[in-house]
Amino acid sequence: MAGTVESTIKFPYKRSLGPVLGAFMTALTEQRIMGIRSGGRVIVPPLEWDPDTGVELAHDFVDVGPAGTVESWTWVAKPTAQHPLDHPFAFALVKLDGADTALMHAVDAGSIDAMSTGMRVAPRWKAERKGHITDLDAFVPGETPETHEGGGAEEPVTMMDYDATITYRIPTTANQLRSDQASEQGRFLGLKCPICNRTYTGGRGYCPIDAIELGEEHEVDLPQKGVITNYTIITPTPYPGQTATEPFSRVHVWLDGTDVVLGYQTLLDVPNDDVHIGMRVEAVWASEGEKVDKDPRMEGNLIGFLPTGEPDNTDPDLVNRLH
Amino acid sequence: MAHDNDIAIIGWNISPMVRNTEHTEAQMLLEVITGAVTDAGITRKEVDFTCAGSCDYVAGQAFSFVQNIDAIGAWPPKRDSHVEMDGAWALYEAWLRLQMDDIDIAVAMGSGRSSTADPELIYSMEMDPYYLAPLGADAMSFAAIQARALLDAGKVTERQMAEVAARTRRDGKSRDYNQVTGDFDVDALLATDYVRAPLRRHDLPPITDGACAMVIARADKARELCENPIWITGFAHYSELHNPGMRDLRSSNSTTLAAKAAGIEEGPIEVAEIQSAFTHEEPLLVEALGLGPDTVINPSGGPQAANPIMATGLVRIAEAAGQIRDNGKHRTLGHSTSGPCLQQNLVCILEGGK
Ligand SMILES: [Zn+2]
Repeated sequence: MAGTVESTIKFPYKRSLGPVLGAFMTALTEQRIMGIRSGGRVIVPPLEWDPDTGVELAHDFVDVGPAGTVESWTWVAKPTAQHPLDHPFAFALVKLDGADTALMHAVDAGSIDAMSTGMRVAPRWKAERKGHITDLDAFVPGETPETHEGGGAEEPVTMMDYDATITYRIPTTANQLRSDQASEQGRFLGLKCPICNRTYTGGRGYCPIDAIELGEEHEVDLPQKGVITNYTIITPTPYPGQTATEPFSRVHVWLDGTDVVLGYQTLLDVPNDDVHIGMRVEAVWASEGEKVDKDPRMEGNLIGFLPTGEPDNTDPDLVNRLH
Repeated sequence: MAHDNDIAIIGWNISPMVRNTEHTEAQMLLEVITGAVTDAGITRKEVDFTCAGSCDYVAGQAFSFVQNIDAIGAWPPKRDSHVEMDGAWALYEAWLRLQMDDIDIAVAMGSGRSSTADPELIYSMEMDPYYLAPLGADAMSFAAIQARALLDAGKVTERQMAEVAARTRRDGKSRDYNQVTGDFDVDALLATDYVRAPLRRHDLPPITDGACAMVIARADKARELCENPIWITGFAHYSELHNPGMRDLRSSNSTTLAAKAAGIEEGPIEVAEIQSAFTHEEPLLVEALGLGPDTVINPSGGPQAANPIMATGLVRIAEAAGQIRDNGKHRTLGHSTSGPCLQQNLVCILEGGK
């Protein structure tokens, strides 16, 4: 294997809760578990709709528990980073007293030997509660809930956070590796399809038109100069990872004599008002091993493009070349 | 038996199933699509519609399926669709699309590289975002909870589960593409520790990278291209409530409904390829499908031998088709499932003959 690229993606979701889940989460801050009546049944955790008919339920809430019975369970000997406890625990379906369905949650039993179907459990509450399913820290064996002094949320809970993080290790293909190496050396490596004669960058390893594999034997070095076919001025809005604060341009560059349009490139030393279609530009690279302050999304050692000063290309169809 | 508006499978291809592929998902698809259209005796140019099943969370990239379109050869442009589901549901959409009567040939595919991250962390992100995902509720834990429900009800034993593992991985030796196969001693398997009680390592599917593609055609075109088209005579899927705490985990109602809707009762099923990724799911699904002892289950080895998430179900249908084309069977079944504790189930019934 040629190697891997590791990337960690964060998923910082903020979710609105609505009238039913919001009421449930608010009750959690008050150390209560609440269900909703659906016909003759009490559904826990509450749903907005009758699970059998899909009809919207009246907001007829009812407290259940605090204790309940384990209907089924498994023992998690090695918890993941997303699990609610960092030591071995049970995941269980707990049917709370007064409920007709089971709530999935953790049981902090200490040992697998303490677990059994039919055992009685009660909630252990967190001291700090914010209206989240993990305000219920875990169930513990027995009939007695572990509660804290103090009331619940001052206002009804309407939102919740869900933060997950996943690390991916993506294998680098041999094509990608050679393309990256070329980029480190200040070259654009292309792949020329022997059927349609189109040229591609980025070491993708196939022609998407003819759906055939392309490899080392199809590689060609591409020119460093090209023309801007289109551009956009981006006004930064705050989101995770965004560091820019002032409006900046991104340009599409059609490399001379090829079919390759490099999208969303950095244009250097040109005020936003002066960016235009037809402008002649040339790639600027950092020297090998040089550490430069550049947009991390740019490939390899490419810093961006600089105007060459040559006369503009005035072809009116340029704007249509987006890839 | 086949009617003018019926639709048939005319070719397919299954990739090597490996723990860590060096290929991109698009490259895996490139190969299986080439394999499937070659198997069908056509080229990509003759394909009128494509539908892919894949998952952004598995791929680690938003809109990852857009890159996968490169594998289709989408020039001139093709009618294309995507489902964030197993390729078996992509096949279902392609089957529906051909019934609109205006085009003849479709390709369905499924692909996934589960190796690139921890499948336990990915799975929980796909659960109910309020009650389940924030607990990190993962596929193995859900399966283990359902296994215990079946054990407690006396519907399965740990020995039966180990026997499923030993049988499927032995049968799986018959397929070169499989990942985990071999001869295992049931007593030795039962002597091992639990990974997630009551599940042991042998009860779990492998983590697999792989892909599958399949070509289907309307009746006239299928007969023109293929000596022995494999007719899709019934195709249905049903879904149940998402949260496993609100279902009876000792049965699979949606499987039974899908099987009935697909016409399972119209004749005997000689071979069933079912997506029982965890060993206890096999007896549960066999009962829900209403299959008797005469039906051979997962002779390919099933998901126990290779479990390419997003393609496992389509591989089941391909294997069921292979039993008719290559093994002299007449009526077979492919099954796929999705969601925690077998929430959603799909049944595809296949028959041979003109
Ligand atoms: Zn080409």
